[in-house]
Amino acid sequence: MVSQRRYRLKQHHTFEQDGRKYVADLETSDIVPLKDVEWEILSRYESQTVYQIVEGLKERYKLTTLFEGIERLERLGQQGSVLSPVVEAAVPPTANRTPKLLVPFHFTKERSALDYVTNLNRYQCVTHLAEFAELETFAFPEEEKVGIQDLDQVRVRNIASAKSGVLASPWYAMAGYDGILLFSQSLTDDLLYYRIPDIPIVHCIEGAQRLQHVLPRTLLTLSAFQSPKDTWVVKASWMQAWLAELGMPMENVRVIPDGIDVVEPIGDKALAKRYTAALFEKPMFLEKPVVGLISGFEPKRGAAWISEFARTNPHLAIFVYDTMLEPHYRHPPENVVIFSADDEETRSVLPIFFQALDLVCFPAMPGTPLSIVLEAMAYRAPCVAMTKYGMPAEVADAGVAVKSDWDAFGNFHVSMTELSEAVNAGVQPSTTRTQCENTAAAVAQQYTRKKAAQELVGVFAEGSQRKVNDFRTESTLFPPVFCRRYEPDTGAMRTCVYRLGTNRYDGLERTLAEVLGERHTPAEVASVFKHFGRQETPPDF
Amino acid sequence: MLGFPKMLHPLHLFEEGGVTYAADIEKARVVELSAVMVDILKLAETQTDTAIVQTLRASYGEDDIAEAFERFAELEKEGLLFNRGENLQQSFATESKWRKLLVVLPGIRVDSLFDIETVSAGTNMALSYMIRHLTKYADLHFAGSQNRKIADGVYEVDIGVADLIRLRSKIGETYYGILTLHQDHERWLLPLYRHPEFPPILVQNHAPRGHGGQAINSMLRHYAAMRDCDGFTAPSDYVREFYAEFVWDPSFFNTLPNGVDATLFKPMEKMEAKQEIAAAVGDDRIETVPTVGYLSRVQSEKGASVYVKVAELNPHLMFLIAGPNLGRYASRKLPDNLVYVGFHRREKLPTVYNAFDVYCFLSMSGEETFGLTVLEAMACGVPPVVPNFDGVPSVVGDAGLVADAKRFDRDIATLVSYPCPIDVSEKINTLLGNTETWQMFSERARERAVSFTWEKTASRIVQVFEELHQKKKLINPNRLLNVFTPAQPLQEEQEMRYRSLVLSMNAHYERCLIRDAVYPLRVEDGLVLSILKDHTPREVESILAEWVDDQTEAEAILERVQGLIDGTV
Repeated sequence: MVSQRRYRLKQHHTFEQDGRKYVADLETSDIVPLKDVEWEILSRYESQTVYQIVEGLKERYKLTTLFEGIERLERLGQQGSVLSPVVEAAVPPTANRTPKLLVPFHFTKERSALDYVTNLNRYQCVTHLAEFAELETFAFPEEEKVGIQDLDQVRVRNIASAKSGVLASPWYAMAGYDGILLFSQSLTDDLLYYRIPDIPIVHCIEGAQRLQHVLPRTLLTLSAFQSPKDTWVVKASWMQAWLAELGMPMENVRVIPDGIDVVEPIGDKALAKRYTAALFEKPMFLEKPVVGLISGFEPKRGAAWISEFARTNPHLAIFVYDTMLEPHYRHPPENVVIFSADDEETRSVLPIFFQALDLVCFPAMPGTPLSIVLEAMAYRAPCVAMTKYGMPAEVADAGVAVKSDWDAFGNFHVSMTELSEAVNAGVQPSTTRTQCENTAAAVAQQYTRKKAAQELVGVFAEGSQRKVNDFRTESTLFPPVFCRRYEPDTGAMRTCVYRLGTNRYDGLERTLAEVLGERHTPAEVASVFKHFGRQETPPDF
Repeated sequence: MLGFPKMLHPLHLFEEGGVTYAADIEKARVVELSAVMVDILKLAETQTDTAIVQTLRASYGEDDIAEAFERFAELEKEGLLFNRGENLQQSFATESKWRKLLVVLPGIRVDSLFDIETVSAGTNMALSYMIRHLTKYADLHFAGSQNRKIADGVYEVDIGVADLIRLRSKIGETYYGILTLHQDHERWLLPLYRHPEFPPILVQNHAPRGHGGQAINSMLRHYAAMRDCDGFTAPSDYVREFYAEFVWDPSFFNTLPNGVDATLFKPMEKMEAKQEIAAAVGDDRIETVPTVGYLSRVQSEKGASVYVKVAELNPHLMFLIAGPNLGRYASRKLPDNLVYVGFHRREKLPTVYNAFDVYCFLSMSGEETFGLTVLEAMACGVPPVVPNFDGVPSVVGDAGLVADAKRFDRDIATLVSYPCPIDVSEKINTLLGNTETWQMFSERARERAVSFTWEKTASRIVQVFEELHQKKKLINPNRLLNVFTPAQPLQEEQEMRYRSLVLSMNAHYERCLIRDAVYPLRVEDGLVLSILKDHTPREVESILAEWVDDQTEAEAILERVQGLIDGTV
């Protein structure tokens, strides 16, 4: 979506004559009569934002009157009078102060739809971000406040009830924030914020298993809204690689893994295995090498795959972490236990199981929580990554990669032989294993919540420095009129474009691309043309 | 010398960046002034040229003063600073709150419309009558180059075509509507439709087709560009029906039948009329033999060739031609029973019509929407025979006979039909073969003709403007926001699918749908929504007509998107 066109005030003179107000454009020599409200807006136009103008005048004029006044002045600007379009957005100077960020809490509505750990990570992210940024969120009287009250670090800005029904949340987001941090995944509420010009948006994209089925659609939608100042933050390098494969623009995607909390070990690995064996009433955890499988599989296919892996490797004790499969996978093979952290209690016991692991195995795909993988590895467990894009950078040198393939529909393929060989080699004592154990512990220590928060603030600073060059000015030079044209020699009718000013006919496709391009991104325009099976002729911008 | 003292436009003088300017409120233009020009302006309304020079000589060199005079002369020529013509402010101020229409007729001399003898061609004739009757319902201000009163309620105002867009706010505040005439090659009118400030614009159309498709294409351009509150007028329903084949919304074509001056054009003592014409041309057969009449330019597209053939087919009748001259037919051997009766002033035309027993209108041109001469002949009690195409049969109704014509499926070199000479001939003989029949048609002709009055035409114009004002009130701005995005294909699909999303918040950040969210739309709907931001529904119609095969579906798309826009304002 293209940002709103903005204008600068041309050299002008305002005056009153016979009780009427006028502005004279000294560049074009036009004189334009002004209504009182337009007069007031014009006097503030150069020094204030639209938000400041409206907020400053709203006690004296109705909101509609104010917006229509701005609209009329900007329409004059389109026509070359009084205002002239800004061709390139100014890049604001880097502020040497704590940034003020807006964190809309729409994502709290998703809480029941997501797993406990993903929700926890989001709250932890906000909590730690408060160390580096001033955080604020809105409270509308009609919305439930669940979620907002839980976080003392976030200041709540109450929107008065009389106004809240009139203007949408993004309006209030223009009140001097340095950025907007969005968390919502499948909900569309937050999309409206992308309409706000100039304020960088950082949208955290979760690769959560429960979102797998909607993720491609969400990302495709978000890509239509994103502008150069906005950034997606994904939580794992394979997410970034996958987005590139989908053809998403990579310039504005950053990988910032969630930080993890590594608790003190309860003792040595043998003790952890005893606890695990006791808790699951499975002696195999004492008898066999213990492999943790952090699953991000599509649940139905995942169940079949896990069963096959377990049966292929009966000599292993397999601890599966899968939040979706856990309540449904009633009869796993004997050498498999399945677990999910669904509340504070189950979350607190998870480190014990991780300490029992001899190896961590995971598919590097959307759905697999990297933070859980890292936490599992934190107690010196090397990893085997089933990966489509090479060894994930986050766990480099802490294990081996086995080539796999998967698609957005949940299909997953890996050579069970190659995987079994890699896993079995990984659980055997060796120099390599020792090196990997050390690396795994070190890797996991790198990903702290504080570091993630700092990086996130840095992304806002980057976004605000990016230029938004989507202001178009030349296209209205010869305004097009789409019309039908009768061809007297054939009697046929076809659609073309008549250009005012040149008084010539022009081609439909080229002009349509140009007209759509004034309000939509090139990718959006391409979507329209592809939908209609038409060849898009690039406009002459 | 400039001829000071002169009346100035309302001016506001100001300085900005060390430069002095005059803001000409009347013309909505700023003019840069030198110091001497400022001082001259201060004296301009009270002193003569000589007095001004004498007064300022002490402060400025003579060359500077002369240069300033030259500059003022240029500005005056552009219509700036000085009132050109009479001071109308007083006249306007004393008028009632009568509706004012701005009449813009580039290329037509206003005075000619009030001097009927100088008007030629049916279009201008109709315009002249219509304008004069319209003064009963509204003051008419003709866009021109000076201010002057032409007649009661009729003025020329110093608003040039080039001033229109700049003065749009003032025009919108002052005038109830803009009345103009469609011309194929105009360049000034189309840009006006882009400005919401203008009052409704009503475009008179008298030539809906012909000219190798140029007329149709020009009309289609106007149709596409017009705002919802603009429209065409056309003299007969035929134009609306004709354009219904080309456009989805023929309601933009408002039927505005011409009238006839029934006091001038009326039945006379027929024999006296025939004798007068016979005497004038020196052919007394006109007095004794039944006559058929033709009053037009003697050219192919007006059916002159067909008329000659009909004359050859009917040696027992006299065929009279009244027109400016015989044109190329003057050098041809014409049948003996065909007589050129000359060109006559308008006041003499009733005599000419009354000398005809039957009026024969054989135009083959695609411009015939009405046939004003047919109505004038009918008003004189002369039954007409007309070919069966375009708008003329609807004027004749049952008061004359309609002859067969080969209607071409499309115009060819400005011709759109070929009247059948034999059938025309038969119809003429039917009318002339029986006195009672002729009498019946004659009475019907008069009776029908007098029902077409210029009074009705003028009041219908005002009515159309009223309707357009209602439409203007219903125009809603489209501030909805939408995006286009690929949608995930289903697993079995190879091709990417696409969709549009409309936001629940509009461009003013107003909540216009239920909650803070986005709603999916078909790409077709999204496309229409996007285009309707800066373009008319007629332009959208053009795009959909090309890109959506099923017209019913395409019209439904446009209807529902407009409904969404209207419903969420």
